[in-house]
Amino acid sequence: MIEAKGIGKVYSVKKKKSFFRSEKQIVRAVNGLNLTINEGEIVGLLGLNGAGKTTTIKMLSTLLNPSEGTITVDGLDAVQDAIQVKAMVNMIAGGERMLYWRLTGAENLRYFGKLYGLSGNALEKRIKYLLDIVGLTNASDTPVELYSKGMKQRLQIARGLINDPKYLFLDEPTLGLDAPVAKQLRGMVKTLAKSDRKGILLTSHYLEEVEELCDRVYIIEKGSLILHDTPENITASVVKDYHVTIETSVLSAPVQYRMKQGLIGCTLGFTENADSTVMQIKAPFDPTAQIIDLCVKESVSIQKLELKRPRLEDAILALAKEKSA
Amino acid sequence: MRILSILQAEVVKSHQHNFHNKLIYFSLLIWPALLFVTAYYSFKPFNLSSSSQLSKYMDVNQITMYLLTGYMCYIYFWSLVQSAWNMSYERQAGTLELIFLTPVPRLTVMFARAAGNMLEAVWLFTAFTLLVLLTTGHAGEIHWWNVPVAFILLSISAIVWGGFLNIVFLFSRDAGILFTIFEEPMQFFSGVRIPVLAFPLWGKIIAFFFPLTYVLEIFRDLVLNGKGLVELGEQSFILFCVLALLCTASVFLLKKAEIHAKETGNMVLF
Repeated sequence: MIEAKGIGKVYSVKKKKSFFRSEKQIVRAVNGLNLTINEGEIVGLLGLNGAGKTTTIKMLSTLLNPSEGTITVDGLDAVQDAIQVKAMVNMIAGGERMLYWRLTGAENLRYFGKLYGLSGNALEKRIKYLLDIVGLTNASDTPVELYSKGMKQRLQIARGLINDPKYLFLDEPTLGLDAPVAKQLRGMVKTLAKSDRKGILLTSHYLEEVEELCDRVYIIEKGSLILHDTPENITASVVKDYHVTIETSVLSAPVQYRMKQGLIGCTLGFTENADSTVMQIKAPFDPTAQIIDLCVKESVSIQKLELKRPRLEDAILALAKEKSA
Repeated sequence: MRILSILQAEVVKSHQHNFHNKLIYFSLLIWPALLFVTAYYSFKPFNLSSSSQLSKYMDVNQITMYLLTGYMCYIYFWSLVQSAWNMSYERQAGTLELIFLTPVPRLTVMFARAAGNMLEAVWLFTAFTLLVLLTTGHAGEIHWWNVPVAFILLSISAIVWGGFLNIVFLFSRDAGILFTIFEEPMQFFSGVRIPVLAFPLWGKIIAFFFPLTYVLEIFRDLVLNGKGLVELGEQSFILFCVLALLCTASVFLLKKAEIHAKETGNMVLF
């Protein structure tokens, strides 16, 4: 298990005061964060830009030393035992950097494999296996500069798995990818956690992705933890509004009145069309069953029904609004 | 075994990265050959007889060999300045951070990188030097039995120098000034073209700051003057001290650079 206890990171940043003069300013990127990642679990780390997500990932992956607090990886201290920890973790970032573009996919993996102490047949087998699982076998001897964005990202994943890490940090892994490739990568991440039992920390601005993949989510704001729970619980605790849009046959005023009376705790709005009525209902619970019962009771025929459940995205937006207020 | 594996990885990476088109042969052969030819013909208009000023400090009859050995040793050292300069590419590409994400021994990577780049960069000019020797009839001036020792000494010195420079470039993204310092000044003050002894005192002082100065002196004494290592004891000891100093500084600076990067996150700044 990875366990971060009260970690913080303070940077000293030069701020220009004039052409010749600059002043040092202390910036606190992460503040007293507690976090755990278990094997076989996908944990999300969310926050707005500048919230401290990348700094946290870099501290967990030993690239940065925390200014305060401790990080242990299976009992090893990430600062004192950094070399042993490095063998157990890896990091994959979104974008097209972090690869040697003039080298082929296989050559990139061979180089990094050797840095992890792999060699000979074991390394070649690993390269073949990884290129296969990311679907780059046919492009293994093509220079990376000729790869598409999605291919580069898949190679990044293979590179991140070259040392068969127990824990993997994914920093915006689907950044800029089109929907089918992003979906394929999400499937890969799920398999890595659930079948290969890797502990994964994921940051992403695509909240549907986080909702789909993550078992637990940490939400940070200006370096501090503001919420930690499952995506469902976070959504339920922050956003209460269900939206139902229902199109029916034309409703008379008395029926509309009885509908209002029947749906206690809901806010209703009606829009009249030539041959239909559109009802918009907002409720702090899922009112679908009640609406259907009422429609049956009133002999109203339903032409279309659409339910919009609260999403993690709504929760994050609500939290951001709350914090900025 | 681990060292060899890392060295092989660096050689392959450097080869794949640098030999992507034929223009590389220009910088590996044509450019140093032009440097040599330019220097050789720059001497031609001057008095190079035994009555010349230069003859006080060197055998003027050996001017071709003097320049050839000078430029060959210079290329060994200069190629590693270029290799260290490429660290800025690794920084921009984010691969430098990835290297530091691995558990690989950092010092090994820095020196293997130097060795890999040196092997890639010097073979062509070394072959050119041998070709010039054979075709111009100067082969007889060489003390061939000293050649292996001279090359081992040159290679080790250049690798130590290259490893040190890699670490300096690791420390700062603005180390490009070293590129300027080491191009023409290193070529001039290290005695590539003119013996260091011919310089005024201030020139000699500058020369002592370039490790190439010590290497060149020993290399020429071994290869051109046929002196043995025992005879060159004092010079060899000085070179050993210079290399030991560079190694110590490398270990110290590397530790400092990694601690600094872990504190500031500057490895991703470019």
